[in-house]
Amino acid sequence: MNLPRLRLDPLTRKKLQRFRSIRRGYVSFLILAAAVVLSLAAELLVNSRALVVRHEGRWHFPTYGRIHTGKEFGLDYAYEVNYRELRRKFAADPTGKNWVLLPPVPYNPLENCHPGETFRPRPPDWARQNFLGTDQINRDILARLVYGFRNALAFAAAFIVLTYAVGISLGCLMGYFGGWFDLLVQRLIEIWSNIPFLFVVIIVASIVPAGIGMNLGVLLAIVVLFSWTGMTYYMRSATYREKARDYVHAAQVLGASTPRILFRHILPNVLSTIVTFIPFTIASSISALTALDFLGFGLPPPTPSWGELLRQGTSNLQSPWIVASAFSALVLVLVLVTFIGEAIREAFDPKKFTLYQ
Amino acid sequence: MRPPFRFILLLAAALLLVASRGPAASPSGAAPATATMEADLKRTLAAEPEFYLFKPLAELPAGLEWQDGAALPEFADPNARKGGTFNYYIPDFPRTLRTIGPDATGGIRPYLLDYVEPPFIAPHPNVAGGAYAGLVSSWAVGPDGKTIYYRIDPKARWTDGRPLTTDDVIFTLYFMRSPHLNEPWYNDYYKKNYRQLIVYDRLTFATVHPERKPDLAVRFGNWVPYPRHAYADFGPGWIERFQWRETPKLGAYELKAKDIDKGRAVTLSRVKDWWAADKRFFRGRYNPDRYRLEVIRDPDKAVEAFARGDLDLMPLGQPKHWYETLPETHPEVAAGRILRYRFYNRTPRPDWGLWINRSKPPLDDRDLRIGIQHASNIALVCAQFFRGDAEQMQTRSDGYGWRMHPTITARPFDPVAARAAFARAGYSTQGEDGVLRNAAGQRLSFTITAYGQAQRDLLPVLKQEALKAGLEFKLEILDTTTGWKKMQEKNHEIALAALSRSVELYPRYWEMYHGTNAYADAYTKDGQPSKVATGAEPNLKPSKVVVQTNNMTMTYIAELDRLIEAYDRAETLDEIKRLAAAIEQIIHDDAAWVNGWQRPFLRGAAWRYVKWPPGFNVAQARDLEEFFVHWIDPDLQKETVAARRNGRSFPGGLQNFDQFKGN
Repeated sequence: MNLPRLRLDPLTRKKLQRFRSIRRGYVSFLILAAAVVLSLAAELLVNSRALVVRHEGRWHFPTYGRIHTGKEFGLDYAYEVNYRELRRKFAADPTGKNWVLLPPVPYNPLENCHPGETFRPRPPDWARQNFLGTDQINRDILARLVYGFRNALAFAAAFIVLTYAVGISLGCLMGYFGGWFDLLVQRLIEIWSNIPFLFVVIIVASIVPAGIGMNLGVLLAIVVLFSWTGMTYYMRSATYREKARDYVHAAQVLGASTPRILFRHILPNVLSTIVTFIPFTIASSISALTALDFLGFGLPPPTPSWGELLRQGTSNLQSPWIVASAFSALVLVLVLVTFIGEAIREAFDPKKFTLYQ
Repeated sequence: MRPPFRFILLLAAALLLVASRGPAASPSGAAPATATMEADLKRTLAAEPEFYLFKPLAELPAGLEWQDGAALPEFADPNARKGGTFNYYIPDFPRTLRTIGPDATGGIRPYLLDYVEPPFIAPHPNVAGGAYAGLVSSWAVGPDGKTIYYRIDPKARWTDGRPLTTDDVIFTLYFMRSPHLNEPWYNDYYKKNYRQLIVYDRLTFATVHPERKPDLAVRFGNWVPYPRHAYADFGPGWIERFQWRETPKLGAYELKAKDIDKGRAVTLSRVKDWWAADKRFFRGRYNPDRYRLEVIRDPDKAVEAFARGDLDLMPLGQPKHWYETLPETHPEVAAGRILRYRFYNRTPRPDWGLWINRSKPPLDDRDLRIGIQHASNIALVCAQFFRGDAEQMQTRSDGYGWRMHPTITARPFDPVAARAAFARAGYSTQGEDGVLRNAAGQRLSFTITAYGQAQRDLLPVLKQEALKAGLEFKLEILDTTTGWKKMQEKNHEIALAALSRSVELYPRYWEMYHGTNAYADAYTKDGQPSKVATGAEPNLKPSKVVVQTNNMTMTYIAELDRLIEAYDRAETLDEIKRLAAAIEQIIHDDAAWVNGWQRPFLRGAAWRYVKWPPGFNVAQARDLEEFFVHWIDPDLQKETVAARRNGRSFPGGLQNFDQFKGN
């Protein structure tokens, strides 16, 4: 009765077909997938570094890798060359043998787009390629949105892996062993989930020293620490149900070890529960990160983040393009994720496909 | 893995606190404590007869020149109207009603103490070096130049009706010098600067100070007494007992328990028949009957609340608020219902700058610090972030009426000079990320610690500019309490911070630059400076860091210490100037402080029914309401409220006051 795990069995194929037939969810999925893929290549689309530089007969592809200093291109400074300036300089050169190809949005999320001018929010300006305007220190909003999206996704991915690893393992163990172990862990979880999450975040955020990697890790750890509990309930009850089935008894009789029974036999059968939760977990982790950033307890500045943009937007209501961009992006992503989630839930609904009637 | 450990400690502490709360609470409020203070005070008077002296009035020196400052001009408008409720905000809810002790330096303190309580002798805010009588009717400086004689104003009354007497003065000095106070700074200040108290009768006393000072009376006469009768149970544990206790005041406003709306607002009420209401220099001040302070944590929200009409006054220091949120074109401003003010004040301003912690290698390298100075683009911050409203400070102590050093200027932003300095410190190869490295492969990267949200947008600008010099700044923005604590414990690498500075004739250096405020073992027992180990010599390098001091650069230079000690002993203004220049030169050469910025004016907006004296404010105002010279005109208020409904406009425009412009 050992069900194949990752090969697409007819049942799963049917579920996927059903998912594809739910148009709203499927289209949302395609859009989001495209956005994710594009964001992974963000350096090629939104970046202050040029895609290609042709200089004195040599090719340069500066997008990834080391910085190129101004001196390398005949300018008088030893720090990273400003490619927009370089483009202007080369364009003025009549021979035309030197040229620069910049990404469609020629700004990175950390830089001042208008050096030499006062720092203030600027409305969208297509001529200057600030398609969504700038924030209060002249940073391009689109660039910050794109990179903020990528950060949020990375956060969500890590968050899902970690919470599910803990939640699923513990939930399965509780359901499988039952008895005093189940009782004890349940009580512990109840106590744990009563610790006010936000306060802990505030306390920890204020005592943890900075360093971006450190802070992202710590932030992730705290959020995971308080989020794994929800998953255990579902896994516990699902495992309770599954463990009474014959195939589990059969595996036990054959002498399979507990981990093998749990992860090879039971887990594949409760996978649909997990799959339906994933989109909603993504949504909640993105909103958690955004909320923390909004409150100033999230990622350290100047990391691009949607919460930080929202905070800027709400404190600069006279510059509505900031809050409008961040808010629309957030709503759009959350709506897409929710549509996908609904479609998955419907496609994986066991009432339609379960073998046990 | 320090943070989780600290976190666990914190949790453990919290649990302990909860656990210990029940049993500990009952004895602390009980009777035995009540007797503590008087008995202890008596013991102290007996134990320190050389400090607390009692003499008959007949021994008061004859021929003293008694002064009361009456010849100086008044600065408030005597025709100001009393009454009305003034609405304003504080950024955090008070954590205590004490004005001293832990947590007492919150946003409420100015309203409980600094702005409201009159000192014995007050510095005149428009006349440098001038003074006027506060709690005294007159005062005199003795012929030795070290003694101040005070005659308490017989009208001075605590809010509970008791008169102010020398009993309170004795208590205050005992209080300030008491170990139970839990305030090392005050302990130290009152022990170091007050050498003797001589009590002549219930209203006459004198204080003796260690050195002659050109501004003795305002320097040491500018203190505020505490009521002896209300502190009967002062002693160990007083901090808990007095956390929320109303104590009698001498000032024009009091905060009653019923006016505390927990977490939301506090409302001060004007003391009925205040004893100094008609006293010269107090007339026309402290005008509104009620002073409501709503808790608004976010300054941006406060500006919005003001524009909506919930608040009556709003400082607009931040360029964003001045140019974006409430510009000339804002409908209420354009209609003249809100008036915008710019007032050039003349006062030492907070010394914003980057404090480099010399005790954290490689920041102990002077060349590296010079490089950091050249790599910090403060000029750009002033010109573009502050939109030209701020100017870079040239010396450590700008804003004191004269330049502390005639020629020193801040090291300018200059990536080439910075790189040259970094190269001298061994950082000469540029890595692939554009950050310099030394031979050992260490990156030139430091963390800037800042507190509060105001610097959040400014720091990325410095970060981006510093990279041009091959220097990486990592940014750490903590909440105010945590950030400040980290700096005071000297755990930062570079701190973006400012100390607010008292209105004084000349600056202080001891707190920020004396070696004993950096290392407990800076000097050996016989007063010899500890040395950095060289070769065969034993390691005498000081290592015991002193926390909770303002020496946030961890400066310890024996030569500088000697100059500072001489400066603190200096008796004439000429000597003070000479020593200050020498001190500034060493500070400049040492390069542990990146000159920050200051704004030469106060800026804000008020609804047009808030009225001000003809010159708007006083020269030394550090805050629009510091001297409480404003008032509410009820007729204009009615008119303005009606005008907001029917859209009526009034003459408006920028109200610019530059009579005190330029130092």
